[in-house]
Amino acid sequence: MSTILFVFSRPPHGSINAQEGLDALLMGSAFTTCSVLFVGDGLMQLVAGQSTDDLGTKNFSLSFGALKDYGVTRIACSKPDLLARGLNKDDFLIEVESLNAAAMQAFIRNHDKVLNF
Amino acid sequence: MIVHTINKVSALGLCNNLIAEDDKVVLLEDGVYLGLQPLPFLVFAIRFDVDARGLGGLLAAHTESIDYSDFVRLCAEADKVCSWF
Amino acid sequence: MNFAIVVHGAPYSSEACLSALKFAKAVLASGHSINRVFFYHDGVHTANSLIAPPQDEAPVSEQWQEFGTGNNIELIACIASCLRRGILDETEADRYEKSGSNLAPGFTISGLGQLIDASINADRVVTFGV
Repeated sequence: MSTILFVFSRPPHGSINAQEGLDALLMGSAFTTCSVLFVGDGLMQLVAGQSTDDLGTKNFSLSFGALKDYGVTRIACSKPDLLARGLNKDDFLIEVESLNAAAMQAFIRNHDKVLNF
Repeated sequence: MIVHTINKVSALGLCNNLIAEDDKVVLLEDGVYLGLQPLPFLVFAIRFDVDARGLGGLLAAHTESIDYSDFVRLCAEADKVCSWF
Repeated sequence: MNFAIVVHGAPYSSEACLSALKFAKAVLASGHSINRVFFYHDGVHTANSLIAPPQDEAPVSEQWQEFGTGNNIELIACIASCLRRGILDETEADRYEKSGSNLAPGFTISGLGQLIDASINADRVVTFGV
């Protein structure tokens, strides 16, 4: 069965794109082998300590903790984009692999389909 | 070979280090403005979007204007399509 | 070759849904097939039957309806995206006790599983994002 790589590139809360992307990933992992790659401002979805009580949007970041339980195979982010934002992996809610450009290209090549959000 | 589509100038920043040497880039919508400058990839631009924006004579020499049928052919020849927006 | 097409953009707010239609027509004209078109995010606005554009602007939603119906291609609008944005068929309008339904003919409201199923079973997936 086709494997799917989900690529998340939007920051959370400013639009619903990130949340609807995560919904698609959770659905995908119920059907087939899925992995996720965070690039650009998509990395900001993973930042720990998001608190949306006063904003009134859903704090869907809490769902990232369940990705492994849903069977999402690999969770990775762009190392150049991590460094460009002055972040390190300790700033994230969950454990994430950081990949250099060549590793990201291989990650994309190794999946049958790519869904971008 | 992977076809990467780019539909806006800012989206190049998401993917410029993910495009491998033998990949192809299709510029569409506002992404065609990227076709004005030489890019280090094999670059195609959707002609409808190029013409609509008056860019016909302004594309960089290596940006090839294509129709939707060419776009479909490139997708069929590729292993997969990756869309950046 | 079999294509799945994913549309994230609303008509008029973005070019995505127009680009996707041109691509879809070219897929069929090239002798390929389309297993499903999945409208997600703001793309579900394409399925709103109440859109009434000025006469000198392309009726993008109607063009999609004609394309889907004329070629017997499934046009699926994601249910979660639809409900958030007020695109309802009669069943959902009744369920949520809303004053009316507005799903355009030719479109079907269904779940995200349809996106995954289409992606798995197609030879190529092409997303038109915003």
